[in-house]
Amino acid sequence: MTEPLLRVVDLKTYYKTSAGLVRAVDGVSFEVYEDETFCVVGESGCGKSTLALSIIRLVPYPGEIVDGKIIYRGIDLLKLPESEMRKIRGKEIAMIFQNPMNSLNPVFTIGFQIAEAPIIHFNMDSKRAWRKAIELIAKVRMSDPDVRARNYPHELSGGMRQRTMIAMMISCGPKLLLADEPTTSVDVTVQAQLLKLLMDIKKERRMSIILITHNFGLVAEVCNRVAVMYAGKIVELGPVREIFRNPMHPYTRGLMKCLPIGTKRKGQLYTIPGQPPNLINPPPGCRFHPRCPYRTEKCRKEDPPLTEVEPSHYVACHLHR
Amino acid sequence: MLMDALARLSEWIQLILQNKYSRAGFFIILFIVILAIGAPIIAPKHYAEVDLNNRLRPPSLQHLFGTDELGRDVFSRVVYGARIALWVGILVVTIEAAIGVTLGMLAGYYGGKIDKIISAITDMVWAFPPLVLALGVVTLIGPGLVNVVTAVAIVSWPTFTRIVRAKVQSLVNREFVLAARAIGESDLSIMLRYILPNVVPTIIVIATLSIPSAILSTTALSFLGFGAQPPTPDWGAMVSDGMSQLTRAPWISSFPGIFIVITCLGFNLLGDGLRDILDPKLKM
Repeated sequence: MTEPLLRVVDLKTYYKTSAGLVRAVDGVSFEVYEDETFCVVGESGCGKSTLALSIIRLVPYPGEIVDGKIIYRGIDLLKLPESEMRKIRGKEIAMIFQNPMNSLNPVFTIGFQIAEAPIIHFNMDSKRAWRKAIELIAKVRMSDPDVRARNYPHELSGGMRQRTMIAMMISCGPKLLLADEPTTSVDVTVQAQLLKLLMDIKKERRMSIILITHNFGLVAEVCNRVAVMYAGKIVELGPVREIFRNPMHPYTRGLMKCLPIGTKRKGQLYTIPGQPPNLINPPPGCRFHPRCPYRTEKCRKEDPPLTEVEPSHYVACHLHR
Repeated sequence: MLMDALARLSEWIQLILQNKYSRAGFFIILFIVILAIGAPIIAPKHYAEVDLNNRLRPPSLQHLFGTDELGRDVFSRVVYGARIALWVGILVVTIEAAIGVTLGMLAGYYGGKIDKIISAITDMVWAFPPLVLALGVVTLIGPGLVNVVTAVAIVSWPTFTRIVRAKVQSLVNREFVLAARAIGESDLSIMLRYILPNVVPTIIVIATLSIPSAILSTTALSFLGFGAQPPTPDWGAMVSDGMSQLTRAPWISSFPGIFIVITCLGFNLLGDGLRDILDPKLKM
């Protein structure tokens, strides 16, 4: 296999809150290859967003990356000084956020904001950057780019703001795009359009995308490989078909049963009993055991490591050893 | 750019005129500004012109506000005084804003230790009664209008720091700041181009509401004799001058006093109106 574009090794990101240490990301390892769409799936609060923010080193206070390595093209990002990291952000790795309503600066036009990154990274003069911004607005399929460029964020719909966000983030041709639930806050038809747009851009630029989502349907459509996260850890990782054909971890199975299409039962949808654990004081052993229908005595005591059960299909469960 | 700014200014003025209170405030300030700018034309005499034959004359057509102990025309002095009041108010607030906004931005943006240090200093200055502290500063650096301005500014910037800090804290965690970092913006650039423009409306409101207290503090110091030295027609100094004649010639103190009240009222009304206009909750 080729050298991965990004290699995350045993990453630990903790939030030091007054209530205690929140282990949002607790020993996560995975690789992302070039031209790949890698999905991270999980419930709210399982640490997926923190994982993305850790990769680009923007974990908000009081969060802190306490251990691990993030190797991007052979460079450990965690060892770079902040000034070098700034050169990576936007140019090499960019990130799209969940809520397009808040992710644009309300006081500048969107053209101005899109032009910003090329000015920072390529020292482009403002006229050329403005023209580039207009090109990018056309690229993300908004009508009348010249007019749009002079609009302020509050004059645009949620979908258009998210397009603007995409234009802003691809303006410097990053190799890796982190997309943190990019389509969650827009309606379903716009979701499909945005997703198609992202995938077309990815194809054209041979970019890799780490797509963070809680939507298994989305995963099936666009991903190459999936990592399922639960309570700060990856519980299952593998090619998307393999995971859908043969989900091994009880949590993954539960998630699949929650899909409206997957269930044959009429009436109620399936839900996984119980709540995701408190990350300040996670259960001992396997973190899923309190909610797991197959739990054994061993699950209470021993945390199962992520092991390769079938070729390139990894599971962290005592059932599959 | 210029046309844009003009268009926005006229839009603002229209909004100000829509609100009853801010409209009143706006016209009061406009009136004082016209007095200040047109002082040489409006005032019938020079503010320092002594006329010993006409001492302590009551208000009449010749001397609208009467004359003082030295026969100077009180109306002319009040008109020229508008210049000093406005100049002092704006200068004090500018200095306050420069200190306060800088510290508030740093504290709000960086948080942690920097925030703790700045907040501690702010709270310390805040804890002193401002006029007493200003008196202390003036005693140190000596009397005079410029020194009074400096002293008042030095003691009253904490208002800015506190409000700006809180506002910045609420902005720092907004996603557009995170997005700015994600495209590789530096801290300085984020502060100046992403946070500051969003704090400007707040700064304008605090500045407008701070002008009256700045004018009051400086006139108070002038009243106590630390500020403007004669024959400068400072309203505070004029009130103080007329004190000894209060029973015989009450107009000497009253008219500048009334103007102090009117000016402060005007700025307060305008500031309250601006706060309503710039409240994002009403605008969205």
